[in-house]
Amino acid sequence: MQRIALNGLWAHKRRLAGTFVAVFLGVAFLSGTLMLGDTLQRNFDNLFADVNAGTSAVVRSSTKIDNDAGSIQRPPIPASLLQRVRDVPGVAAVAPSIQGTGTLIGSNGDAVGGNGPPRLAGNWIPDPQLNPYRIAQGRPPRADDEVVVNKGAAQDGNLHVGDTTTVQTPEPVRVKIVGIATFGSSAGLGPTTFTAFTTRGAQQHVLKRSDEISSISVRADTGISQADLVARLRPALGNGVEAVTGEQLTTDSVNDIDSTFLNGLRTVLIAFAAIAMLVGAFSIHNTFAIVAAQRMRESALLRAIGATRRQVLGAALTETLTVGAVASLAGLLGGIAIASALKAMFDAFGFALPAGGLVVNAGSAAIVVGVGIVVTLLAGLAPARAAARIAPLAALRDAGLEGEEGAQGRRRRGGLGSAAGSAAAAATAPRRRLRPFTALIGSTTALISAPLPRLRGAVGALARRNATRNPRRTARAASALVVGVLVVTAITVVGASLKSSLDNSAARGFHGDLAITAGQFNDASLPPALAQDVARAPQVATAVGLGGGSAKVGGENGKVKVADPRALSRLVDLDVRSGSLATLSSSQLAISTDEASDHNWRLGSTVPVVYPDGARADRSVGAVYGETGIAGDVLLPRSGWAPHAGQDADQTVFVALRAGVPVVAGRQAIERVAARWGGPDVQTRDEFIDAAGQGVEMVLSIVYVLLALAVLIALLGIANTLALATYERTRELGVLRAVGQTRSQLRAMVRWEAVVIALLGTLGGLVLGIPLGWVIVQISSSVGIDTFAVPVVQLLIVLVVGGLAGVLAGMRPARRAARLDVLRAIATE
Amino acid sequence: MPVLSQLPNGAATPPGAAVARVVNATKVHGGGDTAVRALDDVTVAFPAGRFTAIMGPSGSGKSTLLHCVAGLDTLTDGEAYVGEVALSTLTDTQLTLLRRERIGFVFQSFNLVPTLTVKENITLALDLAGARPDGDWLDSVIETVGLRDRLHHRPAELSGGQQQRVAVARALASRPQIVFADEPTGNLDSTSSGEILGFMRGAVDDLGQTVVMVTHDPFATAWTDAAVFLADGRVVDELEAPTADGVLARIQRLGG
Repeated sequence: MQRIALNGLWAHKRRLAGTFVAVFLGVAFLSGTLMLGDTLQRNFDNLFADVNAGTSAVVRSSTKIDNDAGSIQRPPIPASLLQRVRDVPGVAAVAPSIQGTGTLIGSNGDAVGGNGPPRLAGNWIPDPQLNPYRIAQGRPPRADDEVVVNKGAAQDGNLHVGDTTTVQTPEPVRVKIVGIATFGSSAGLGPTTFTAFTTRGAQQHVLKRSDEISSISVRADTGISQADLVARLRPALGNGVEAVTGEQLTTDSVNDIDSTFLNGLRTVLIAFAAIAMLVGAFSIHNTFAIVAAQRMRESALLRAIGATRRQVLGAALTETLTVGAVASLAGLLGGIAIASALKAMFDAFGFALPAGGLVVNAGSAAIVVGVGIVVTLLAGLAPARAAARIAPLAALRDAGLEGEEGAQGRRRRGGLGSAAGSAAAAATAPRRRLRPFTALIGSTTALISAPLPRLRGAVGALARRNATRNPRRTARAASALVVGVLVVTAITVVGASLKSSLDNSAARGFHGDLAITAGQFNDASLPPALAQDVARAPQVATAVGLGGGSAKVGGENGKVKVADPRALSRLVDLDVRSGSLATLSSSQLAISTDEASDHNWRLGSTVPVVYPDGARADRSVGAVYGETGIAGDVLLPRSGWAPHAGQDADQTVFVALRAGVPVVAGRQAIERVAARWGGPDVQTRDEFIDAAGQGVEMVLSIVYVLLALAVLIALLGIANTLALATYERTRELGVLRAVGQTRSQLRAMVRWEAVVIALLGTLGGLVLGIPLGWVIVQISSSVGIDTFAVPVVQLLIVLVVGGLAGVLAGMRPARRAARLDVLRAIATE
Repeated sequence: MPVLSQLPNGAATPPGAAVARVVNATKVHGGGDTAVRALDDVTVAFPAGRFTAIMGPSGSGKSTLLHCVAGLDTLTDGEAYVGEVALSTLTDTQLTLLRRERIGFVFQSFNLVPTLTVKENITLALDLAGARPDGDWLDSVIETVGLRDRLHHRPAELSGGQQQRVAVARALASRPQIVFADEPTGNLDSTSSGEILGFMRGAVDDLGQTVVMVTHDPFATAWTDAAVFLADGRVVDELEAPTADGVLARIQRLGG
C-alpha cells in the first residue's frame, strides 16, 4: 500500500511539475513582454519629461510632416519670432532650438551610433533650464566649427575634448570638440548621439538657413502657469506658428514614440506571448487528459463510495485551479527574467533600448495572472469533465491503466446502461466524429516510424508500437508542437517570399555594377556630394544618388524618394508604364502604379506636395512605374526637392563602371572615394541584391528566438507525456527489463518514441504552415510580396531540428524510465 | 561479454548437475528495528533437467529466493550462481544480458508487452539481443504450447490462460539454461493451470529444459520432480516426486 502511495506521489509530483512548467513558461513570457513594454514606456516617459523639464512652452510651426516609420517633422520658423516671443509679458527666457541629424565620425573614421536610434545634431542652448544636457567636461561651443558631443557618443567614437573630427549633416563639416555633455547624469538620451553647434553653426550646417530656427523654447516667469503662458504667446505668433505647453510637448513625444515604435513592439511581443500561451494550453490539456485517464479508476472509486459527479469534477478543477494559480504567480516572477532576457536580445541584435529599472505594473500583473489561470482552467476543463463522467462500476472492473480510450468509450457506454445512455451517447459522439482524424494520425505516425525497426531492431519496433498504440494521445502530445512549428513555418515561408521579392525587385531594378549604402536601418545620411565625387572617378561611367525623406503628397504624410530621374533611369529600371523618367522636370513627380490606383491619379494629374520646409507646390505626374522595391511609391526630382529640404541626403548611390573596368578595380577606386565621406559600405551588384532582403533575415532571427519559447513549451509537453506514459507502463517496462532489455535499450526506446512524436508534430506544422504562408503571401501582395518562395533547405532544417528536439524531449523521461527498479516495476499493480 | 562467454551452454550441463544455486544466501529488507530477514542462510541447488517447486507460506521468502537466483534482486550476504557465474560479480548490464541469454521468466500475470504480437512477444528476448531465433526450436516450442494459429494476435485478444502460454513459450524461446516461474498459475482457473503446468512438464521431459517454479498450490507442486519448502526465510524441508497429498501433509506438519 505504501508503495502504491509512493508511486502515486511520484506520479503526482511529475504530473504537477509538467503542467506547472507549461503554465509557468507561458505566463512568464507574457508577463515578461508586458513588463518590457511597461518598462520602456516608463523609461521613455521619464526621458521626455527630463528633456522638457525646464521648458514651459514651445513655439513651433503648426505644419506637421511625418511618416509612418519616423518621428514627426515640422518646417522651420523665422528667427525673427524670437524677439517677438521674448517681448511677451510673463516670458522669463527664450532660446532658439535647432534640431536635425548629423553623423559623428569616430576617431577610426567610422560613423558613431545608428542602427535605429537617431543621430541628432542641433544647437547648444546656454540656458541650463531649457537644455537637458550638462557640460561634463570642456566648455560650450563659441565658434561655428566648435561642437559639444554627448558622453556616450564620445566614448563610442573614442573622441576627446580637443579632438578634431567630422560631422556629416550630411555634408562633411570639420569640427573641433570643445565639450562633452551628459544627459542629466546619464551618458546620453538613451543610445542616441547628439552633436551641438552654436546656434549660428547649427543654422549654417544643420538647418542651412541663417534666418530660421526649428522652434523656440520658452521659460515662464515664476507664478505663470504653462497654460497661461501659451495663452499669452498665441496672439504674438503669426500664421502657421503655434505654441504648446511643455507638458503637451512631453505627451506628444510619448505618443509619438508609442505610435512609431512602442505599440508595434508591444503588439509583436504580445502576439508571440499569445502563441506561447496557446502552445502551453495544448500541453496543459494533454497532461490533464492523460492524468484523468490514469485516474479513471480512482475517480470511479470515489463515485462508487458516494461522491457526486459534481464533487469529482470539483476536485479535478480544484487541482487545475491550484496548479494554474501557483504557476501563474511564479510565472509573474519569471517574467522579470524574461523581460531582462528580451531586452538583452534586442540589444544583441542592435536595437538599443533605453536603460532603466524594470517596471512591474499592477494592472499588467493582474492581467498576466488572470490569463494564466483562465487558460489553465480552460485547458483542464474537458479532462476534468471526462473524469467526472466515469461510471462508478469502472472501479470494479479490471480496467487497464493504459488509456486505450476507444475501448474506454465502449466500456463506458455498456456500463452506463439505459439511465445515462443519452449522456454517454453525447459523450461518444464527438469521439466517433474524430475517428478519421485519429486514423490519419495513426497511419502518419506509423509511416514516420516505419524505418525504425530496420534502423534500431527490436528497440525501434517497440518504440514504433509505443508511438502508435494510442494515436489520440500521440496526436495531443504532438499538437502543441504542431502549433509552434506551424507558426515557424508560416513565418519562414513569408520571410523567404518577402526576401525573394525584395531580392528579385532589386535584381530586376538595379542594372549598375556597384552601390554605396548608408546601412539597412539608418536614415538617408550620405551627402549628395558623394555621388558627384564618385562620378568624377575615372573608372565610373555614371553615379546617381537616391535619397529620401518625408513629405505630404496629395494631403497624405509619407515617405518619398528623391533622385535625379534622368541619371537614375540609366542605372535603375523602374518598369515605367507611362510617361518618362528621363524627361521628368522639377515641377513633376513620378508615382508607382499602386499609388496611382490608390488616389486615382494618372499621367498629367496634379498632385499637391508639402515639402519639409513647409513650402507647398502643385506637381504633375510625369511618370508611372511598376517597380517599388527601389524607388518606393513616390519619386521626386532632386532639383525640386533640394531647395526645400534642409538636410538633403542619399540612402544609396548607384554606380555604373566604364566599359572594361573590372568590378574589383572599380570597387577599390570607389572605396577610396567613400573613405573621405565616413566610409560607407560599397557593395557589388550581387551584394546589393542580397542585402535588399537582409533586413528580413535579421527580423526573422529575432522572430525565431521569440518562437523558440513556444517550441520549448511544446517539447516540455512531449517530455511530460512520455513521463506519464512511462509511469503508466511501469509494469511493462519491468517485464522488458526482466527478459533482457538493457538500460540503454530502454532509454533508446523512450527516446525514439519522443523522436517519432516530435517528427509527427514538426511534420504537421510544416504541412499546415506552408499553405498558411501561401495565404499570407497572397494577402500581402499589396505590400510588395509578389513571389511565393518555399525555402526547402530551411524547412528541412526545421524538420531535422524537430527530430533532434525529440531526442532532447525524450532524454529525461528515458533516464527516469531506465532508473526503474525491475522487481518493483513488475510488482506494480 | 567475457563473463558470459565462460558460461557453459545450457544443453551441455549434464543432467543432475546444478544449473543454478545459492550458497548461504541471506537477504535483509530494510534496516534497524524494522529489518526483515527474507532469506536467512539458505543453500539450495537446482539440478539440470528437473522441474523444481519452491513452496512456502506468504512471507516465507520463496519469491525473494527466486528473484535473487534469477538476477532480478541482489543478496545481502552469500552468493547466487547461474552455471558457475557468481551473480554478485556482474554489472547491471551483464546481469541483463545474462537474463536475456540464459534465463527464461514466467510471472504471475501481465507477462506480455501489449503492443507486440504473440510471435513478437515470444521472440522478444532474442530480438533484443539482435539474435536470429533457432527456427526448429521455435517451431517445437510454439507447437508444444499450441499457439500456431494465434501468432499474429495481440495479447489483449487472448484469454488469461492463452496469455500465460505465450509467456511460457517466450521463456523457452531463447533455449535458456533455466526457466524461473513465479506463481505462473496464480491468476488462472484450474483447466488453464493444468495446461500451463503440462507445458512446463513437457519442456523438462521432451525439450530437456530446467524449470524452477514458486507456488503455494499443492496441486501445482504435484507436477514437479522435487519441492523445496521455505518458512521464515529458511529451507525447512525437501520432497522428491511430490504428490498433492504428500505436499498437503507436509504443509500441515509445518503449520503453514
